Amino acid sequence: MKGVLTKAQERFSETAIDDEIVVMNLDTGDFFSLEGTARAAWLLIDGTRDLAAIITALAEQFGAPGDVVAADVELFVGELGRAGLVVSG
Amino acid sequence: MQPKVMTHPAMDLMARETRWQLGCVPHALGGIAVEPGYRIIAEGQFLLRCESGYGYHYVPGIGITVERPAGGDPAEEALWLNGSVYAAVACLNGLYPLHASAVAFQGAVYAFTGPSGAGKSTLVTGLGQRGFPLFCDDTLLLDLSDPTQAIALPGHKRLKLTDHALALTGTSRQEPVGADTGKSYVEPPGGVIGEPLPLACLIFLEERPTPAWEAIAGAERFARLADDHYTQALYGEAQRPDLAGLFRLRARLAQQVAMARLIRPLSPQGFAASLDLAEWQLRSQNKEQVA
Repeated sequence: MKGVLTKAQERFSETAIDDEIVVMNLDTGDFFSLEGTARAAWLLIDGTRDLAAIITALAEQFGAPGDVVAADVELFVGELGRAGLVVSG
Repeated sequence: MQPKVMTHPAMDLMARETRWQLGCVPHALGGIAVEPGYRIIAEGQFLLRCESGYGYHYVPGIGITVERPAGGDPAEEALWLNGSVYAAVACLNGLYPLHASAVAFQGAVYAFTGPSGAGKSTLVTGLGQRGFPLFCDDTLLLDLSDPTQAIALPGHKRLKLTDHALALTGTSRQEPVGADTGKSYVEPPGGVIGEPLPLACLIFLEERPTPAWEAIAGAERFARLADDHYTQALYGEAQRPDLAGLFRLRARLAQQVAMARLIRPLSPQGFAASLDLAEWQLRSQNKEQVA
């Protein structure tokens, strides 16, 4: 996904429970939980960063190589995009 | 001068709305015919027609009409009235049901949940024998009008046990529950609680060989609240929450109510171990949180 990433707020509900974030797709009723790097990536999708910026921020946050982080984040963001929960522009 | 009796709005509401009288019930609601053996919630009302000929019709502000067939079994009449009808009235008035049996301890409610046959009633009976008063059996109603806490309403003050549970707990049976349930009523050995109390913990009963008590954390607390018990279906039909509303409700409960799983084998030894574990956990709540 290219461009700044933004959450499609009208498509989901979310809540924090302990160290996890639960997100429910309001179109399908499917819900999933985010923890660790997925949770951190979700929080970084705030309408100010593109994918590269999110990868850089996560690599710094977790002290991991950027290429290692990139594969997981691209996969995760791609899934969010296909679910309609995140859009790029 | 007489002291003023403090009551709780939700309890007053249920007392008012569950008043009942004998009469005839309609055979349709909202233009939908209801055959014997079926129920419906429509137009803010509840209609249940039993295959035995019993009928129950609830209208908000008026109460419940009970249609009693010739030769009707009083035990069956009470079973429906205190079960499905009671739950439907609660749901139509915004109370949230959980499929749970519960005890009270030091001003809070500890509710045990699981599918039918999991041993909820048996466990709270055993805890009653250890001094924990019964709060409710089978259905726990929550008043969620206070956004800061979930308040549980005390339920009907009798337990319903199978012959196996009677033997396991060594309790004396009273009259049969009726309607071929295979259960008998039992007086709660630890007494009962008649006032609303905050729900402190929801404990899920599970069967595995080694007894254990495990806190439930994170997203599992949300996931656990999805239940296919008929009371959940009643709530959905009564309140018709959209997905966002249902999410908010479950998210709130997941955040406000501690949860744990009580694991034990379904054996006499497992039952004793589960009582020991549950009693120890409940009595230690003053010192630390369960979850």
